[in-house]
Amino acid sequence: MNSRAKHRKEKTVTIIWCFIMVHLSSHLLKRYHNGYVVIRLALAGHKQANRPFYRIVAAHNKRSRDGKYIEQLGSFDPLPNIYNEKLVGFNFDRIKYWIGCGAHLTKPVAKLLGLSGFFPLHPMTVTEAERRRAQAKLAETAAGTEDPQQEEQKQADV
Amino acid sequence: MAALGTARCLFQSFYRVKDVQRIRKTLLKCNARTFCDETSVKGGAKPRFTDAAVQDILTRITGLDLQKVFRPIKQEMKPPTYKLMTDEQLEQAIQFATEEAKKQLQMPPVLPERKPIDDVLAVDKILDGMDTAKYVFTDITYSIPHRERFIVVREPDGTLRKATWEERDRLVQVYFPKLGRKLMPHVLFKEENLKIVFSQDRHEDVLNLCLVQFEPGSADYIRVHEATYEDLEKNGKYNLLRSTRHFGGLAWYLVNARRVDGLIADMLRRDMLQDAISLVSLFHMVHPHSESAQEATSQQAAGTDLLKIYSQKESQRSGYIELALQAYEEKAAEGSAS
Repeated sequence: MNSRAKHRKEKTVTIIWCFIMVHLSSHLLKRYHNGYVVIRLALAGHKQANRPFYRIVAAHNKRSRDGKYIEQLGSFDPLPNIYNEKLVGFNFDRIKYWIGCGAHLTKPVAKLLGLSGFFPLHPMTVTEAERRRAQAKLAETAAGTEDPQQEEQKQADV
Repeated sequence: MAALGTARCLFQSFYRVKDVQRIRKTLLKCNARTFCDETSVKGGAKPRFTDAAVQDILTRITGLDLQKVFRPIKQEMKPPTYKLMTDEQLEQAIQFATEEAKKQLQMPPVLPERKPIDDVLAVDKILDGMDTAKYVFTDITYSIPHRERFIVVREPDGTLRKATWEERDRLVQVYFPKLGRKLMPHVLFKEENLKIVFSQDRHEDVLNLCLVQFEPGSADYIRVHEATYEDLEKNGKYNLLRSTRHFGGLAWYLVNARRVDGLIADMLRRDMLQDAISLVSLFHMVHPHSESAQEATSQQAAGTDLLKIYSQKESQRSGYIELALQAYEEKAAEGSAS
């Protein structure tokens, strides 16, 4: 009898403790773990191989990338469709709210927002564009030097 | 027994119409929104489609054939319900059905073709070659009307421009799908396929599909409507659209193109004199500077005189109209004599 009563008491205590903990978790997260809210890309494909699809999501920093988020703010499809477009959707109203609440942004999200014109251009976008142009030039000159060589060979064969 | 029969007929068709009304309601919602945008005309300016007087005439010409409006549509098979009613209840049911029919006959808006968007927001040459694909950014905020939504495209060469109307329609359908609309328009809307469908007399189906798929004011919507109206005018098959919501649009198109003769002849053939008179008065409203309009205002004509003036001044088939008028007057004389 006594043990059963004790067991019941412990159960109620743990239940009350969990109840308090749930409500205090956001505050604890802030002060204890120095957690904050981020707006980032979360993979949403349910582990479909070779077909990525991202959700733009406001989540706590320490949560896993694809885990529980606070709110979905949009989506990003990195594979181009039949019209050669990569579709990005942003819920600007809610993004403004979360940035107002002090959310941080990750680099990819900042780049996308810069490309959309909502934010100023991210410097890395410019750097990437320059790098790509340099690569393209190199590839062109390489192709250029190859072609004359091939033509010489053909002439030699003939 | 007859009362029972009509009640059964009414309730059968009414019952089967329930599911289609859901689709029609979405159509009505879309149409009602743009319908309220236009305000009434100022005095002296050209009468528009949405004026109260014009709408009144068009609704009158459209007619209200309950049997046609509530005809059986292809739906899931259900056993019919039968109801036993008194005469009073039957009248009430018919009144209710008339009101429902009026709602279903609400005319879709006729808008001028929308101007293409070509607004460039930023030209960033430093971003040239950043990617091989375009980035399309849509604002997904739920509470903005689709017309005011921001949809911008970042091209691979770095220019940030607003999306064209076709891109906008497609993306709004991706993020906020509408029932019945497809991302790629149906193959039916190509010229060759339209011809085949017209030869099968399915103009109404084409127009209903067009209404669901395209925005009023888009180039495709206007093109399909014009093709349908031209085909109907060429073959004189006006009766296909009578008592449907598209008849008003047909009448408006013909009046604006000044080719009302065929329609008037058809109405006279079916003994719809009042409709013919309303049509001529609408013509005078829209073209107040034509000869027949000026004659009519000077003579203060009404009734069959209007038709006579119109046939003398304006129409190319005046012979037919005058003959038909004579026949009608003879019949009226005989009727009053006997």
